[in-house]
Amino acid sequence: MTDPPAIHAEGVRRVFEARKGFLFNEVVRTEALKGVDLDVDRGEIFGLLGPNGAGKTTLTKILSTLLLPTAGRAEVLGLDVATQAHQLRPRIGLVLGGERGLYNRVTARENLRYFADLYGVPIETRAKRIAEVLDWVGLTEAADRRVEEFSRGMKQKLHLARGILHEPEILFLDEPTIGLDPKSARETRKLVRGLVARGVTIFLTTHYMFEAEELCQRIAVLSKGRIVARDTIGGLRRLVGGDRTIEVEGYGFEDIEAERLRHLPGVSRIMAEEFGPRLRYTLRVRTAELTADDLQNALPGHPELTVRERVTALEDIYLDLVEEEAH
Amino acid sequence: MATRSSSRGRGLMASLRLAVLQFLADPQWLVPSLIAPVIFGLVSFEIFRGADPVFVLYAIIGGAMMSMWGQTLYGSGWATGQDRELGTLEPTLTAPTPYLYVVLGRVIWNTVSGLIGGAIVFVVVTVSYGRPVPLDNPISFVLLLVLVIVSLAAVGIVFSAAYVYTRYAGFIQNIGEFAFYVGTGCMFPIVLLPFWSNPVSLLFPPTWALDALRYAAIPGYGGLSWGFWGDLAGTLGLTGAYLAIAGTVFVRVERHVLEIGDLSDY
Repeated sequence: MTDPPAIHAEGVRRVFEARKGFLFNEVVRTEALKGVDLDVDRGEIFGLLGPNGAGKTTLTKILSTLLLPTAGRAEVLGLDVATQAHQLRPRIGLVLGGERGLYNRVTARENLRYFADLYGVPIETRAKRIAEVLDWVGLTEAADRRVEEFSRGMKQKLHLARGILHEPEILFLDEPTIGLDPKSARETRKLVRGLVARGVTIFLTTHYMFEAEELCQRIAVLSKGRIVARDTIGGLRRLVGGDRTIEVEGYGFEDIEAERLRHLPGVSRIMAEEFGPRLRYTLRVRTAELTADDLQNALPGHPELTVRERVTALEDIYLDLVEEEAH
Repeated sequence: MATRSSSRGRGLMASLRLAVLQFLADPQWLVPSLIAPVIFGLVSFEIFRGADPVFVLYAIIGGAMMSMWGQTLYGSGWATGQDRELGTLEPTLTAPTPYLYVVLGRVIWNTVSGLIGGAIVFVVVTVSYGRPVPLDNPISFVLLLVLVIVSLAAVGIVFSAAYVYTRYAGFIQNIGEFAFYVGTGCMFPIVLLPFWSNPVSLLFPPTWALDALRYAAIPGYGGLSWGFWGDLAGTLGLTGAYLAIAGTVFVRVERHVLEIGDLSDY
């Protein structure tokens, strides 16, 4: 029998209700998730991207048994998150970003010992396991210092250590590098890659495109509670219209010239942005044939024209998808 | 994957240990646990000071209750409020150990620290009195004091569930604090209160336990009409009922907060 996928979600909806008014008699409903379908394979790093308020944290909390879906069904490691949470919890880890979530007055080691006991790490291996994870996140020397003395980066590492303490099969990371300095963020990403090498499945939400691009095999883009795209980065590039992005910048373009660009061979999408008197057209291009000369020829009378080409980045894909959803 | 030896007892012990560590690490606890009982003892001694030698027993019970009720009952609920504030409620609830056992560990520590406070009050009042306290049966007095604090702890567990349920629990508890304190007879017997308030008081186990304590300690005490043994039975029955329903309450409250999704709010 084959193992069930790490995550399988079908039509997951979540509605939040907030009571307002003097007597709390006004009910405001917000639909944070509007029917999310998702499959994550075992052993992969799956990235979930989306703007603020898209529903990323809500989905992470549902999958990690901290929140019940209003409708739909979600299974993690083949267990229903709503009805089999108690069987599932020992097998998953959750790391929420930020400085909260730790007992500040006690040491890092004591924090880990407490959670090791709650998670049932065997007593005979507890001390060794705590030492291992502290070493792994680089906090051995700070292990017996109070958490209140820690920097944000150190706290984030301690969150990560706590998340993997009980050797979960799947780890949910909700914006694990938010607010970290570049060095700490890089170290955190290195730790995440190390986890995958040990066979842990990672479900990662992030705002940072380069982070997702660097770490994730597959990515889903969540916007306004819906998954608007889900694929490998290559697949997403094809979805938004090509591997190549060409930017053309100049002054005083006519509408007809923009139309000419749009109809050049291989151009799948064109976007315009104004920078004071300057205008930039960004073109997504499917084929390799289109050259800078073709663009110069399409826009005669613009000697000031600047043409730049780059590989379509995840950030471009993300912005295309989110903006498309917004319209 | 490691073999897991998750047990509720282990979770309870871990919570108890953490409560002690946090207590030792935080100087703010010196005030309610060591300094306040001295003040409560002195205040209570002055309030009850009178010609009848039994006044000293009223002073000890009143002062001890002032100290213990805050430490045990209020502290148990507050610890869960602190979990909300620190953001530790979410990772604790995703752990396999049911949260009730985390609360129980804290309640045990709060009970012990409440008893220490009660002992300090006893010493302060006795020293202020300057003569031996007229206690006929010190062992039954201590046992009943323990029963009182266990009954307070039982209510504390339910209060703790309220803190998981809503971030406004502290607000509600603060409003009800004085009413609960007076209504359960912590300072003076409930027979001195208006009769209409008595049925409400009787819903709480500390009311019964305190009346039993006064019956046992104070010669000629005229409390609730069913007397010492009726009080004792009522205390045991209600405390047991509170502890029994706490499990169900926690399961329901946990389900509710997972539906509402406000665990990270404080």
